[in-house]
Order: sequence, then C-alpha cells, then structure tokens
Amino acid sequence: MGSGSSPCASCKLLRRRCAKDCIFAPYFPSDDPHKFAIVHKVFGASNVSKMLQELPVQQRADAVSSLVYEANARVRDPVYGCVGAISYLQNQVSQLQMQLAVAQTEILCIQMQHHQEDSALALPTQMQHHDDDDYKPFLLPTTHNLDNISQYINFASSSNVIQDPAATVKRESLWT
Amino acid sequence: MSSGRCAACRYLRRRCTQDCILSPYFPSNNPQRFASVHRIYGASNVTKLLQRLPTHLRAEAADSLYFEAQCRLEDPVYGCVGLIFLLQQQIHSAESQLIKTQAEIAVMKSQTQHPRTQPFPAISGSNNLLLQQSDNDANLSFSNQVSFGFI
Repeated sequence: MGSGSSPCASCKLLRRRCAKDCIFAPYFPSDDPHKFAIVHKVFGASNVSKMLQELPVQQRADAVSSLVYEANARVRDPVYGCVGAISYLQNQVSQLQMQLAVAQTEILCIQMQHHQEDSALALPTQMQHHDDDDYKPFLLPTTHNLDNISQYINFASSSNVIQDPAATVKRESLWT
Repeated sequence: MSSGRCAACRYLRRRCTQDCILSPYFPSNNPQRFASVHRIYGASNVTKLLQRLPTHLRAEAADSLYFEAQCRLEDPVYGCVGLIFLLQQQIHSAESQLIKTQAEIAVMKSQTQHPRTQPFPAISGSNNLLLQQSDNDANLSFSNQVSFGFI
C-alpha cells in the first residue's frame, strides 16, 4: 500500500502517482529502488504487473522474489541468465551421483571380499589338504572381476577433481 | 527472411525486414517460441537484450530466454528458480548420502584390517571429502542467495 507522502519504488521510477491499491507498492518499497529497476529492465513494468495480477495475493511476494532473482541473474549473465546456474547445478548432481555409485560399488566389493573370506574359512578340513591347483579355478575369476571393478573405481575417483571450466566461468559470472 | 515473416514479426503484425534482429532466433515454423518469450519479457526487452550481445552469442541467449519463459509460464510463482531450488535439494541429499556411504566404507575397511582391535577407526580425510567441502562452501553461498526471501 503506497503511503500518503512517499510513492513506492515502481511509481517513483515510472513517474506516476502511487495509488492506494498500487499492485507494486507492497513488494517494491521506496527504500530499495534498485529492486524494481532491475525487474523493470529485464521484464518490463507492465509484464510484471500482469504476472502479479494473475496470482493470488499470498503468492505475490514469492513471485516478486523469484523475478528479482532471475532479473539479477540475467543482468550478470546476459547470455545464459539463470540457465547458467541450472547447468552448473545439474553437472554437480551428475558428479555426485557418479561418486555415490562408485562408493556403493566399493561397498559391494568389500562385502564380496568378506563373503569370500568367510566361505574359505568355512571349508571342511579334509579339503584344505588338497593341492593348491584345485583352488585356482575358484579364486581366479573372482579376483579378475575385482580387479576390473577396482580399475573402474580408480578411474571414476580421479574425475572428482575435474570441473567443467565453462560451468565454473558461468558460476563466476553470477556470483562475483 | 527472404519470403514470409519471422514468428516475431508475424506476432507483432509488422513487416519483417532483411535485417530483423529477431528472425534468426524466432523462425516462422515455431510461433509458440516467440509467443512465450513475448509474454514474459516483451518484444522490446528481448530486442534490446539481443542487440547488446555479439552476434555469435545471440542464439544461446534466445534459447535461455525461451527456457526461462517456459519455466515461468509453467510455474508463475517461482519460474526457473523453483528448478534451482530443487537441484540444490538434490545436491544436499546426494552429499549426505555420499558422506554416509564413505563412512560405511571406512568402517568396513577397518574391520577388514583390524577385526578385533579397532572397531571405529578415525576416518582419514579423503581427497573426495575435502573437494566436496570446497564445493559445499560454494553451494552454501548459492543456497543462501536463493532461499533469501522465500522463507
């Protein structure tokens, strides 16, 4: 609600009378002119007004906050705006999911190792006196699979340090 | 456009000149694309924004404007910021799960090495965790920016 003496930031910028039922006044107070200026620059006052009019009153404050956020992102990064941040975050999610998959695979490996050790210990005593050759067919395939998985873990782990430089640049352009 | 108007000029009911700045990015075969962008940003804002950019970046800018416009039309309250918030939540959840899983690995490994003497060894700072910590710091400042004003 515009006060009697001071127009809201929107009406001040638009150089018009701030009516009592001004749709902008609750969200663009006169002490923060930059907030409306940036939203007006990116979206335009009439578009913002239409968007707010289409929303129930209790949702308008959040809508204004998100519009201000998007407008700021667009001013900082005129090419990508918020999409730059979304791209960066999606990349982070993928990396984390990969790290999680690697960690879960490692748990499986350790569990398999434990299972093998338990199985070896559980062998009846007469079998332990056989030639070592009898054990090779049992051990070799499993060892071979573990080596393959270990190589995959080592390879995947090394990608933890790699960040997409383009995504880093986009992030820098938003937040510096 | 050699023949016919681009989607923007058709929408705006004006003549589409040869040097129309919008025509490369709003072809006539996709009228909905310009309609979405126009509804959120307005033709003049889009034109001004593209004019300020070098030509080789305008296509990407038009695409990102269209994406954000679509997000806003689908979610009039939060637009694409809703998606950012969701991704941040996913990152937070994945990080927690990862830390928990890595702790489990450390415990299992110690049980393999010292089955009786050391049930809970100190978890050595792995490179993964340290790197994630620095990423966490970036995410915290990001989420503070996003969550401000939504609570």
